[in-house]
Amino acid sequence: MSEPILRLDHVTKRFRGLVATNDVSFEVPEGSICSLIGPNGAGKSTIFNLVTGYLPVSEGSIHFQGRRIEGTPTTDLARAGIARCFQIAKPFPELSVHDNVRIGALFGRDGARDIGAVTRDAMALAGLTERAQTPASELTVGYLRRLELARAIAARPILLLADEPCAGLNATETEDVIDILRDVRARGVTVLLVEHDMQAVMRVSDRIFVIDAGRKIAEGPPEAVANDPHVIAAYLGTDEE
Amino acid sequence: MLVAAVRRRAWWILLGVVLFAAAAFLPFVTTPFYVRVGQLVLLSSALGLAWTLLGGFAGYWSFGNSAFIGLGAFAAGIFEVELMKGQPWLGFALGLLLGAAISGLAASVVAWPILRLRGIYFAVAMLGISQVLAELNNNIDIFKGSMGLVLPRLSAFGLRPEALYFYLLLIATILITILAFAIQHSRIGAGLMAIREDEDTARMLGVPTERYKVTMFIASAALTGALGVIYAHSLGYITTSSVYRTEFSLNMIVYNLLGGIGTLIGPFLGSAIMVILTQVVLGRLLSIHMFVTGALLVLLVLVAPKGITGLVRALRQRWSAR
Ligand SMILES: Nc1ncnc2c1ncn2[C@@H]1O[C@H](COP(=O)(O)OP(=O)(O)OP(=O)(O)O)[C@@H](O)[C@H]1O
Ligand SMILES: [Mg+2]
Repeated sequence: MSEPILRLDHVTKRFRGLVATNDVSFEVPEGSICSLIGPNGAGKSTIFNLVTGYLPVSEGSIHFQGRRIEGTPTTDLARAGIARCFQIAKPFPELSVHDNVRIGALFGRDGARDIGAVTRDAMALAGLTERAQTPASELTVGYLRRLELARAIAARPILLLADEPCAGLNATETEDVIDILRDVRARGVTVLLVEHDMQAVMRVSDRIFVIDAGRKIAEGPPEAVANDPHVIAAYLGTDEE
Repeated sequence: MLVAAVRRRAWWILLGVVLFAAAAFLPFVTTPFYVRVGQLVLLSSALGLAWTLLGGFAGYWSFGNSAFIGLGAFAAGIFEVELMKGQPWLGFALGLLLGAAISGLAASVVAWPILRLRGIYFAVAMLGISQVLAELNNNIDIFKGSMGLVLPRLSAFGLRPEALYFYLLLIATILITILAFAIQHSRIGAGLMAIREDEDTARMLGVPTERYKVTMFIASAALTGALGVIYAHSLGYITTSSVYRTEFSLNMIVYNLLGGIGTLIGPFLGSAIMVILTQVVLGRLLSIHMFVTGALLVLLVLVAPKGITGLVRALRQRWSAR
């Protein structure tokens, strides 16, 4: 097997007393869609914060494309090809959809040249072409999610970290977002997804990592994880979803 | 990018050229009093533009930019008086560079610690720094802040002094306007806007936030320092209290707010309105000057929180929605 795009080795993150991430290891193969699942507060978003360099790791190492990245500034990681969609959408509120996405295209991974084309393409992929001139502050939740995705896609990532892109969406909107993620993967982008919608996760993931109270308690393809007694007990048992 | 921006805004640019050209005739058609009013409008606009490079574009409001006026003024002043006797124009030219360099250098020294402060903390830190620098200037004898400094007199083409400084300020304002336009419509301008809107997200998208902020802070300080040099010469005699004026720092913000923060016409509109109002309309009523300024600010916050440009935009939207 080739080098995984992302590899975590015994990663631990402490916030004073709290161990938010506890000795977590996993690998995300190139070209896959992998998912991190687990109950609220399990530590999923924290892992994203560590991978993007937004927070420093306490212990362990993270490799991106075979290169150690702990301690690398967020900006540099973005330019190396790690993009992220936030759990709580963070648009640039005063800017239009187009200008939001354009900033993704102008920066992001090194080497985009036709900014206009990259911007239009990312908006089209996320189904935002008609809203190009709408100010981000006037978008509904569904479109905000698309905007997060479009901006991240415009950054031409190698690895896309999507934190609950379906949160707050209805069934059809969820379906659309899943389709967008599939399209993104079809372009060769590796996706790491955090999502509470189990149906969506089961359908779209190649591989699932289950986190509970900061620890990885299971890992495998969707069917295996769904039937894992630890997972049923620790996660599905305690959470109504 | 820049070329496309120029093309898209061709009419605005043409209007700007016409207005600047018209301004050049002012000293021929009016009294020295109005030329001095014109000077003040230009100085305030240019200072407002320099301020907005960081404050308007990136959302980092400095409450202490008068420090850079003072630094520039005294750096150039001392240099010209001590080393450039008998060569006023050469001294002035080198003084401009020195004033800009010293202000830029001071900004680069404090940039690293204070640009990590966000929002109001940055504003307050800059206010503090400007107070400290003013005190140092006033209390350390070699800076001659309390005693004062008489600058070499400049003259050219037989122009009256107020006309000469009007033209120097006009040239400076035009150059700063062009620079600000170029920055606003380049990659760094887009990055600054992203920083203003949401700095964490900007970083997550690969915007080199630290580098951009520091660059703009230094540019803003250097330009303000250069303007301080011209201002010092227009005064002829400077003391700490005539150049390290907190009032300047506040005016830069107020004029930008009034005109429309983050825009390029904002500082011009704000400066023109406030200077004409306070100097011309209320010129003889100094006692109610502050009262009117205060009342206007309250009105501004209530009626046009996004300044005149914001108000115009809102009205236009309402109009086209009918
Ligand atoms: N910056 C921080 N400082 C202190 N504690 C934090 C910080 N970030 C997260 N935590 C704590 O770490 C734990 C894991 O939080 P995290 O946000 O990673 O959970 P999550 O799995 O993403 O949950 P959710 O499904 O609700 O989004 C929580 O107890 C949270 O309170
Ligand atoms: Mg989370």
